[in-house]
Amino acid sequence: MSRQKIKNWLENVYNCPYLILVVVSSVVAMLCFDEIGIRVFDHNISAERTVSVVGDIVRAEENQTLSEPPVTLEEVQNTGETETEIQNSALENSQENSENAGERKEEVDVIQNTEELNADIQETKIPEIKEEVEKGVTRFLPYEPLEIESRYYSDAGKIALTTEYPYTLANDSYFNDAAFLGDSRTLGIYDYVGLDGADFFCDNGMTIFKLLKDDGVTEQGTGQKVDLKQVLQERHYGKIYMMLGMNELGYGNTTMYMQEYLSVVQQIRAWQPDAIIFIMANLHVSKEKNNMETEFNNININDKNVACARLANGVDIFYLDSNPMFTDSEGFLQAEMTFDGVHLYAKHYDKWRQFLVEHAVEKESSGEVTE
Amino acid sequence: MLFSSVGFLFRFLPIFMIVYLIVPARYCNVILLVGSLVFYGVGEPYFVLLLVLSVLVNFALSRYMFWEPKSPQNNRKKKAAKRRKRALFLALVFDFGALFVFKYWDFAVENVNGLTGNQILPVLSLALPLGISFYTFQMVSYLLDCYWGKISKRAGLVDFATYICMFPQLIAGPIVRYGEVSERMAERRIRIRDLENGLKLFAAGLGLKVLLANQIGTLWNTIMTAGPGNLHVLVAWLGALAYSFQIYFDFWGYSVMAMGLGKMLGFRIPRNFDNPYTSRSIAEFWRRWHITLGSWFKEYVYIPLGGNRKGSARTVFNLFVVWALTGLWHGADWNFLLWGLGFFLVISLEKKTYGKWMEQSSVLGHIYTLLLIPVTWIIFAITDIRQLGAYLVNMAGIHTGGVLVGTGQFVRYLKEYGILLIACVIFITPFPKKWYHKWKDRWFMIIFLLLIFWWSVYEIVVGSNNPFLYFRF
Repeated sequence: MSRQKIKNWLENVYNCPYLILVVVSSVVAMLCFDEIGIRVFDHNISAERTVSVVGDIVRAEENQTLSEPPVTLEEVQNTGETETEIQNSALENSQENSENAGERKEEVDVIQNTEELNADIQETKIPEIKEEVEKGVTRFLPYEPLEIESRYYSDAGKIALTTEYPYTLANDSYFNDAAFLGDSRTLGIYDYVGLDGADFFCDNGMTIFKLLKDDGVTEQGTGQKVDLKQVLQERHYGKIYMMLGMNELGYGNTTMYMQEYLSVVQQIRAWQPDAIIFIMANLHVSKEKNNMETEFNNININDKNVACARLANGVDIFYLDSNPMFTDSEGFLQAEMTFDGVHLYAKHYDKWRQFLVEHAVEKESSGEVTE
Repeated sequence: MLFSSVGFLFRFLPIFMIVYLIVPARYCNVILLVGSLVFYGVGEPYFVLLLVLSVLVNFALSRYMFWEPKSPQNNRKKKAAKRRKRALFLALVFDFGALFVFKYWDFAVENVNGLTGNQILPVLSLALPLGISFYTFQMVSYLLDCYWGKISKRAGLVDFATYICMFPQLIAGPIVRYGEVSERMAERRIRIRDLENGLKLFAAGLGLKVLLANQIGTLWNTIMTAGPGNLHVLVAWLGALAYSFQIYFDFWGYSVMAMGLGKMLGFRIPRNFDNPYTSRSIAEFWRRWHITLGSWFKEYVYIPLGGNRKGSARTVFNLFVVWALTGLWHGADWNFLLWGLGFFLVISLEKKTYGKWMEQSSVLGHIYTLLLIPVTWIIFAITDIRQLGAYLVNMAGIHTGGVLVGTGQFVRYLKEYGILLIACVIFITPFPKKWYHKWKDRWFMIIFLLLIFWWSVYEIVVGSNNPFLYFRF
């Protein structure tokens, strides 16, 4: 190679700074970041990372508030003071659970998979339950669970039904001392249900893990980020509605979700001793959106719903399941009610309003309820 | 594989470019062909066979078209002409037949069954092979150019296959004609400046797609999530605007990336967009929007039908055919047909009445175009006819239900997307392109493009690794 050639070549290199910058920075980035580096096709990396992050949070929490989670959980649930076998199954561990499910095959028609579930609720279960409303019981309807291989969730094998209670109709001022905490679907309630008196603290992408963190939540109406910890200590609420779980589908796992939910509920209870807490079911997704190959499916959502429903005690914590209003016979969000398979069209929030109005709880103990 | 994916940017492209640059020049086309088939096959492991089959069939027919039997025959000229026709006919039947089966079968069958009330024909529910609309049109253009004798030197198998499958334009165009690349196909030198400039162009296109189109797309999704029918007129127009931006930057970005990659490979891929949103009439818009598709329809449909040389009634008919086909090319549904015929109506009106006047009066022309284009994109975007009607009615300020998405949400959307909307407005003007060409070798532009590249990569990684973060419920 002649000297001239080398000189030309060097000149060329000097003339392509962008190419060199991109190549060099790419090499460095591929060495430093797994996301674009050699291991990018190893799918578990991101999952491991997520879990380890969440794991840290949970471990930290365990040291503080969750020292005896099972006991607390039982306390919360036993106040419901009923001994139905259904509730037992909620308390027992998964092995006994499957036994229970086996026993009950005689009572309930064997349900092959979740897709048939809602049909069964609507056709067989609901009338049966209505005959004997047991005040304060949150029933779980069992079915044959699917085997799920996922680090994020398993098939709960049961569906949580709205806590049984002689709900009253809400009057005009009922929602004036209510607070709604949630994600984009709660934002939908703010936008389209028109509960003007209530306070809404919600953001797209909100999770139960982030709710009480320092980053804060947007208070709709003012549009300001607020620290919910502070707000809940300063203001007084009679009702607190919570709906969280969608953004947790691919984050941590259901046990962590439930522990976090429990700890948040306990925290809120400490700050708002008089508030009735409504835990609202996460709305299912449409058939099109339902994807069994990812974490994004109704079995996972149901898993989360069952988990948070277990916190309901029927005294001052209630579980409200609005799914039957919007899902088809297979439990999918009806296709004509949604654009993206996740959120309802604005016009369907009317039904949700009706549902909330019909599920009011008046506090029994003395005149504590404000307004 | 998509250009805006980690797999393409950090696996396929570097490995391919290294191989492509070190092999001797005579193997370049083979490497490009193999690379392109890998590129296609990763995403479409089965349909890559269809692609290969199509290439082989079309190549064979293009050869058969000019095949000369050895033994002397009577009527040689007549027989040759007949053979040419037969070859062309078979090729068109094969190409459009495949396109019909995969793209239009279900649409046609559903309508036939719907009309007759019987299940005469089965619905196949086939998946659409990626890029079939684009590569079919390229093959047809090659066959027709051969038939009309427009191609002086016909391609060998490898060259032909490379021309059809070349990964920069395989999936979403531009629709390149063989004459535009034949010289470079035979011989090309890749200079280091081409690599440099191609990469810059690619980064710019990536930015348009990832940082503008994808981001503004979430505004459109948000508004559609609320649902047509209950939108305040301002929200409805904001949504239409967001979608207009999304589709433009998405497609333009893709075309710019293709041009950049073409440059890096030593080709010159024709531009597909020329600031369409600054047009002063709809006819002008279509001369600037998806230019290669427009010229395909002009060359291979409009002019063969007689263009405007056979009287005004025939011209109108020819325009009707072209626009109906243009509509259907974009998708197999009634709204696409409606969309195409809408352009037929408006462009015919422009031709006959106010077009000339409009292109002279600059301000009016711009306003007219900018008001009409978002409406056409709404027709394009919403396939459900009832929903489409509801949205259009909202844009006119009429509501069947109450206004549920009102000025409150409008203000919130503006707050959330204001800066992005301003950026989009700037990028529909000719200025960014001018600035790019003027300063692309200056240091600040190089740093800027580097930032754009890595910002885009960041968005891609965050989006693809964690769909939950990306969609954010």
